[in-house]
Amino acid sequence: MISVALAKGRLANESAELLEKCGVDASVVFSDTRKLVLESPDKKFSFFLVKPADVPTYVEYGIADLGIVGKDTLLEHEKDLYEMLDLKFEPCRLCVAGYPEKKELLTNPHLRVATKYVHTARKLYAERGEEVEIIPLNGSIELAPVTGLSDVIFDVVQTGGTLRANGLVVLEEVFDISARLVVNKVSLKTKAGEILPLIDKMREIVG
Amino acid sequence: MNYYKLPAGVQDVLPEEYYNLSLLSRRLEEKFRLAGCRFVQSSALEYYDTFAEIRNRIPQRTMFKMTDGDGALLVLRPDMTLAVSRIAATKLKDEKARLAYIGEIWNNSEATGNLSQREILQAGVEFLGEEGAFSDARIIAFAVECMQAAGLSDFTVDVGHVGFFKGLLSGAGLSESLTERIRVAINAKDSIGATMLLKESGVGGRAAEAVQALPSLFGGEEVFARAEKLTDDPTALAAIAHLRKVHRLLKRFGCENYVSFDLGAVKSLSYYSGIVFTGLTKALGAAVLSGGRYDRLADDFGKHIPAVGFAMGLKRILIALERDGKVCTPPPPYAVIVAGPGAEAEAYAEYLRLTADGKTADLWTGGYEDGLAYAKRKSPEVILVATEKGVEKI
Repeated sequence: MISVALAKGRLANESAELLEKCGVDASVVFSDTRKLVLESPDKKFSFFLVKPADVPTYVEYGIADLGIVGKDTLLEHEKDLYEMLDLKFEPCRLCVAGYPEKKELLTNPHLRVATKYVHTARKLYAERGEEVEIIPLNGSIELAPVTGLSDVIFDVVQTGGTLRANGLVVLEEVFDISARLVVNKVSLKTKAGEILPLIDKMREIVG
Repeated sequence: MNYYKLPAGVQDVLPEEYYNLSLLSRRLEEKFRLAGCRFVQSSALEYYDTFAEIRNRIPQRTMFKMTDGDGALLVLRPDMTLAVSRIAATKLKDEKARLAYIGEIWNNSEATGNLSQREILQAGVEFLGEEGAFSDARIIAFAVECMQAAGLSDFTVDVGHVGFFKGLLSGAGLSESLTERIRVAINAKDSIGATMLLKESGVGGRAAEAVQALPSLFGGEEVFARAEKLTDDPTALAAIAHLRKVHRLLKRFGCENYVSFDLGAVKSLSYYSGIVFTGLTKALGAAVLSGGRYDRLADDFGKHIPAVGFAMGLKRILIALERDGKVCTPPPPYAVIVAGPGAEAEAYAEYLRLTADGKTADLWTGGYEDGLAYAKRKSPEVILVATEKGVEKI
């Protein structure tokens, strides 16, 4: 049996649709159930619906053989796994956004960056040799520059609607993000007979 | 402060686990001994410089550090192969040697790919002083033997060669750091990341196509032909020719069914110089064995010694064995001996007699009634009661 970790929400539905196109009976994913482990009727697949940030963990430990999750989550959690395919759905960008003109403050020598991608932001600015103050937040990131908590934000931007409504603009597009297929390093070899044909089919479909 | 708790990533080994752990390590020790290995033990404390002031330095953050009385930096041994290389280069009279070890390494990093272990018990071997296809095939075959001796079934030893990757990029004139970033992407089978890095570095044409194909170059011997079509680079082709030789030997050794190939498995270039391999088992999502050829490793310690070897993670193997239902409970003692009033010496004499015979004998030294209850709980083969007249079974 192949086990698949899916990120709860819209991503799970899109993932299940793709799997169905590849001939996998993933109908259980759409069912309204409180079960935590969903098995396909033919018993060939089992699905776990978990928080996006937990998908890489399940795959790294080999509890799930495969996982489908956004590249932003993979960047943030840097797990030891194989990132095999760009599935191209849920496209967005990881951007630095803020007011078009930075308000210079005497007391703030460091750029203050609000983000929920703390690890990715730290790495990004460290690579550039810029000293910044990272302010970790869990949601409504755009509120931070509006209220003066931070100078800029580092976050995913899909349509940019929230930014515009609050007078903020994208200052820099840093990473292109989309859903990725990740595979456990051991499963790829020990269950190659089942996993490789599935990956090939997915590759054909997403092009 | 809960002083009776343990820090993260380390554990106590309780009797049931220890019993299985020691069975496992004895099986491997015997396997190593029969193959002509001699055992070495290195100190857990080493100088920081031994692991940091060398070409293939261990990342500073991952080492447990402390200061010596004179202010020198010390670390808890972070890598066994480097420690053994140091011993071989500086202390052995004959550097052509087959060395083995069972011991811990410490890795002070968060739980990435380590199944949360910061103290890792390893059993491993280093074959020093030989090179060539026979030597490489022999170590891979030995890895297969050891996986079997450990009790694992349904496993594969996955073999690659860093020379193929090195060759593909050798003409591109890339900086070391960029090559390293491409290597990390390839090793993670991240073709998207590798493509972006290649674009950034201006590598195009055939070399770029070949590097992008690396993540899919795994499977059986058919990957050699696929790989050869990708490049004209002599280093890369030599790596494939070498792997073909190794594969032919493994076939003649009769262990090709336990071996697979992955040219996209590119471990650290500053550490490894030739073949690399990883032992995988279905029961566990992480490698249980890791090894390769590191001919330049001892150079930093003052001697050039070709070397090939591997280390097995005993904890991981035990987890895999447990998932396969292959662990056992420790057997009860043969006898529990309880002394009647005034019969302490008789009881002790019986204990000596049994243990001299190689039988386990648990001599109870508390009260008589408590002793009988204790003996029943232990369910030994025999319960012996010693009196002044002699020893009776009950």
